[in-house]
Amino acid sequence: MGLESWLKEVEVRAREGLSRPSPFGVDVDISSFLEVKEGSPRLDEAKVKEVGVDLSAKTLYMQIDQMYYRYISRIPGVEIMRIEDFAETYPEEAKEYLWKLVDPGKDKYTALAALKGRGGYFIRVKKGVKVEEPIMACLFMSIGGLQAPHNVVIVEKGAEATVYTGCTIAPEALGLHVGISEFYVEENAVLRFVMVHSWNRVSHVRPRTGVYVKQSGKYISYYVNLAKVKTLQTYPIVHLSDNAYAYLASIVLSFEDAYIDVGSAANLDGENASVEIVSRSLARDTSNIVARASITAKQGRGHIDCRGLMLSNRASIKTIPELQALTPNAILTHEASIGRLAEDEINYLISKGFEKEEAVAILLRGFVNVEIKGLPQKVKEYIETIERLTVEKSM
Amino acid sequence: MLDRVSIAVGEKIVLRDIDLRIDKNEVLFLLGPNGAGKSTLLRALIGYPGHLIVSGKIYFEGEDVTELPMEARVAKGLAFAHQIPPKLLGVRVKQLLEALCRKNICDVYEIANEIGVLHLLDREFGKGFSGGELKRIEVATLMAQKPKLPLIDEPDSGVDVDSIEVIARAIKKLIDLSPYRSAILVTHSALISRYIEPTKVCILMSGTIKVCDGKDLIDEVFRHGFRELA
Repeated sequence: MGLESWLKEVEVRAREGLSRPSPFGVDVDISSFLEVKEGSPRLDEAKVKEVGVDLSAKTLYMQIDQMYYRYISRIPGVEIMRIEDFAETYPEEAKEYLWKLVDPGKDKYTALAALKGRGGYFIRVKKGVKVEEPIMACLFMSIGGLQAPHNVVIVEKGAEATVYTGCTIAPEALGLHVGISEFYVEENAVLRFVMVHSWNRVSHVRPRTGVYVKQSGKYISYYVNLAKVKTLQTYPIVHLSDNAYAYLASIVLSFEDAYIDVGSAANLDGENASVEIVSRSLARDTSNIVARASITAKQGRGHIDCRGLMLSNRASIKTIPELQALTPNAILTHEASIGRLAEDEINYLISKGFEKEEAVAILLRGFVNVEIKGLPQKVKEYIETIERLTVEKSM
Repeated sequence: MLDRVSIAVGEKIVLRDIDLRIDKNEVLFLLGPNGAGKSTLLRALIGYPGHLIVSGKIYFEGEDVTELPMEARVAKGLAFAHQIPPKLLGVRVKQLLEALCRKNICDVYEIANEIGVLHLLDREFGKGFSGGELKRIEVATLMAQKPKLPLIDEPDSGVDVDSIEVIARAIKKLIDLSPYRSAILVTHSALISRYIEPTKVCILMSGTIKVCDGKDLIDEVFRHGFRELA
């Protein structure tokens, strides 16, 4: 089967899925997003800065709405292009990588992306190439409507890279963002994926992600939602082969009446595979957060650490950790807690000479700080900036 | 100075009519059995929430601080080393010391080296620490605060001998560097007296101060125990 036939099959499956709601999250009426929204795309650099994207990065992909695309790679061994250009340049490979980890008919959002999506990045880090500087991607929605990019990242054998994606929207633009992401981490390769979301109070967000980590590969994911959103639901699934490792962290801050349902799932298929799923939820105002985490294991080790912080009397946080062992060779654990900032910790810090606001900021910073080992300095700095921003917005 | 201070925790009056004075160059050891109210007294002095002064007055540098909240008392130069500090999720020891040193101008590494906690700097504050490590980081925070009058709660409980020596050395330095060269130390075992010599010893029992005297009072306690002394 060639690419053309495969994409026809994708279309058939997508049409079947168009009326299928997602099992999780609020159901969104997608009918108004089926038509292409007219308008002139405009970049708001201030918004882009807010999600930490460096537009002067050596390797950059930028997409505004579903109309404007720009990409460049100045790092040898790193290939970057728009997904349509990937399909045109490498049709044989595209057939192997597109819609293989995410089912186009899974739900109405994947279906919508398969039928109406445009753009998205293809990034390939060639065999053995190790890149310290993050590869930047910016997905900006300026006029609203649908933005459904399809992203594919391939980190070849022994290569190492960080992909930093910032997704944001103009204030008051009514948009639905469905990013389809399929990541392939080959043998002994490392992919660090940082994604920062900053939407607006009327937007709906439904990213769909599948990750395949081959033998001894590592996948480290750090996801943050920083700002208002109407509804957001995502549940990336990571498949781990022999000796593969994944660290999946989600830091979710919710405002106003947002309904956020975020999780990560890992399938430990290989021998000695391991995963850590970490989630930190901070709920303000009347918002709702559901934090999911699921590990299914034939072998290996998995741990879930879910914590929720109630920043309002009217918000709600629910954590749903799931562990499933398929043989006695799997060792799976979880810990979960939800509460408010402890009064004795605040008082302790005040007794050390901090004002109450400073004490709260220190504790919030601690709450959102997750320990990711082995990050390059540059990536650490980005994450520290995100942590500071999260604390500022939590207060 | 405490002038006939009575302290309630919740509904219950824990300490009654406490008169206590600490002058320049005075190192006061407050001794007493478990549950005597020693920690309550220190907490009331620093103004910890939940410790109500029902009667009497607390003066610091001649000023009545009885009604001042904890942050104001700390700002005036009082500082409190907790018996057991709380665990602070995700907060690294280094972050906290850096934040303190930004306020008070000090060198985190110098302090950490002095008190032997360099190896703890990147650890989560209090998580999985031994008794000795908890005391060391607590004293490290005190050093970073540069207080005028340190109030130190049980620096020697649950601590191995090596740690006591290091902690005592740091406390001595803290006292030497403070403007009044004074401190109040609470201890029920008085182990730290082997390394720091008090100038004044007071025995607190059953919610009141039974006796205050010179350093020899510690020997009396060791010889006869608190009960007989009372």
